[in-house]
Amino acid sequence: MAAVQKRKRPKPLWKRASENKNFQTALTIILPVLLAILIFYQWESGQLNILFHTDTHTLPKPTRIAMIYRDNSHAVWTNIASTSGVALLGIIIGSLIGYGFAVLAAFFPNMGAGGLSVIGAFASIPIVALAPVMNNWTKDVSTEASVRSFVAKVLVVTLIAAADMGLNAFRGLTELPSYAMDLMKSFAASRFKTFVKLQLPNSVPYIFTALKVSVPASIMTAIVSEYFAEYVVGVGRAIRENIVLAQYSTAWVYIVAACGIGLVFYGVLMVMQQILLKRYHTN
Amino acid sequence: MKRVFNKKWVSVLFWIAILIAIWEIGAFVVLYTKRTPENILPHIYNVIAMAFSKEKVAGKLTASQVVFQSAGATLLRALLGYILGAFVGFVLALIMKLSGIVEKLIFPYLMLIQLIPVIGLAPIILAMTGSINKSRVIIAAILSFYPVAANTLAGMKAVSKEKYDLMYMYAAPKRMIFSKVLIPSSIPYLFTGLKTAAPMAITASILVDTLQGDGGLGCMLSQSLKHAMNIYVFWLIVFFSAIIGILSTYVISWIELLVSPYKRTAKSGKRKVKEA
Repeated sequence: MAAVQKRKRPKPLWKRASENKNFQTALTIILPVLLAILIFYQWESGQLNILFHTDTHTLPKPTRIAMIYRDNSHAVWTNIASTSGVALLGIIIGSLIGYGFAVLAAFFPNMGAGGLSVIGAFASIPIVALAPVMNNWTKDVSTEASVRSFVAKVLVVTLIAAADMGLNAFRGLTELPSYAMDLMKSFAASRFKTFVKLQLPNSVPYIFTALKVSVPASIMTAIVSEYFAEYVVGVGRAIRENIVLAQYSTAWVYIVAACGIGLVFYGVLMVMQQILLKRYHTN
Repeated sequence: MKRVFNKKWVSVLFWIAILIAIWEIGAFVVLYTKRTPENILPHIYNVIAMAFSKEKVAGKLTASQVVFQSAGATLLRALLGYILGAFVGFVLALIMKLSGIVEKLIFPYLMLIQLIPVIGLAPIILAMTGSINKSRVIIAAILSFYPVAANTLAGMKAVSKEKYDLMYMYAAPKRMIFSKVLIPSSIPYLFTGLKTAAPMAITASILVDTLQGDGGLGCMLSQSLKHAMNIYVFWLIVFFSAIIGILSTYVISWIELLVSPYKRTAKSGKRKVKEA
């Protein structure tokens, strides 16, 4: 019996590619990199300027931006240090205050929930309105303009970071797994014990949810409050001052720096999350 | 008495009252210790009085007229950019869901945009477009584009496998899967994105104003701050923009309730749908 063996036709290449897991994973890296190279090439060759109808003065080539950075690296780093310092200090103080409020609200939920929605409203207040007010309020903090401005900027960032942290941490402290509270009651656990053993660990992932929102927002806040600050320092202020002077290439160096700060802060946050939330990922 | 305090709005009012009290105490302290108290901490009633006063502060306009006129220019552009950005973001999320290649190509950049302080780009966009109105729209669009696109995509990805299976059993075409499953389930996520974006679009639009003297809220803000105008105009704008910022999120929540009836019934709990 010579059975007619049906000859398997080889699958077309695109089909094999779309079924191959490794190839698909590789694509997630290859495609964006290709796009980046394409954009870089277009930018460097001046095509991007034609697309946006700008001259090379307002949108300089990447190599020129790099050159300007090399010439001014000292000043650039001073400004980066100022902005990151403001953002970092504001995030830390604000998150602590926000978490403190959330804990208070979790202990007294009736009054606390309303207080938190009032705090949450602060997050919706335009930073442009907050920054000049804070400048006025910190006039007496120090005789040094640099210190005054620093305090004012940190206060604005603090307020924004506290609002985000307060809302999220409160959810983390109160949205518990069902029956967890009943279990604690049946153990006759004290209020303090319940807080330490149940509510505190439960709120940790929510802390990171809050930080993921508040870290980029804080950097943006720091940059905007620099626009209004008395003392001329910081990445945001440098962008503005250089544009007023029509030094667009230098302004672009600071824009790249601002993006860099955003990336580094977020990267650090992700690493911290990986380390601290390991327990949550394994189960 | 205790029942009254269990209501949420009562505690909200309570905290607002406390904030006002702190503000007023501060205002009294400042009044007796500072030479120009209205620069630092004016009484709230003075600010409100300014809003209703007939005194001309700029040309033939009263303080409220100044604020409303400039707010019109600023907020309309912010709204336009916001709608534009939200629309592009939503469409992009749809395309990304449709095509895996587009998603792989763009998604990392979408993540990057979130980390870039877009407001820092405001001066350069103003320099590139040359028009303050255009740059207001563009910045508001860029800012609202990211949260909408990312949230909508997350919503479409959160659709459970059972729903896909059901659609498969119905032999539903792709178009129907989108219109009946993916888009409806992405709506709540879309609104989360819209709520984040609204205050940001307003902030950006006001900020763009301060860069160039061409009317608008931000321009008036910096002018009155430099005492080119009555300082109370500054406070009026601060309060006004704060209220607008807060209101914007509430308006979006209200629209959300309007377009998603299931949320309405879930919230009230009592309202039952009549059996047909």
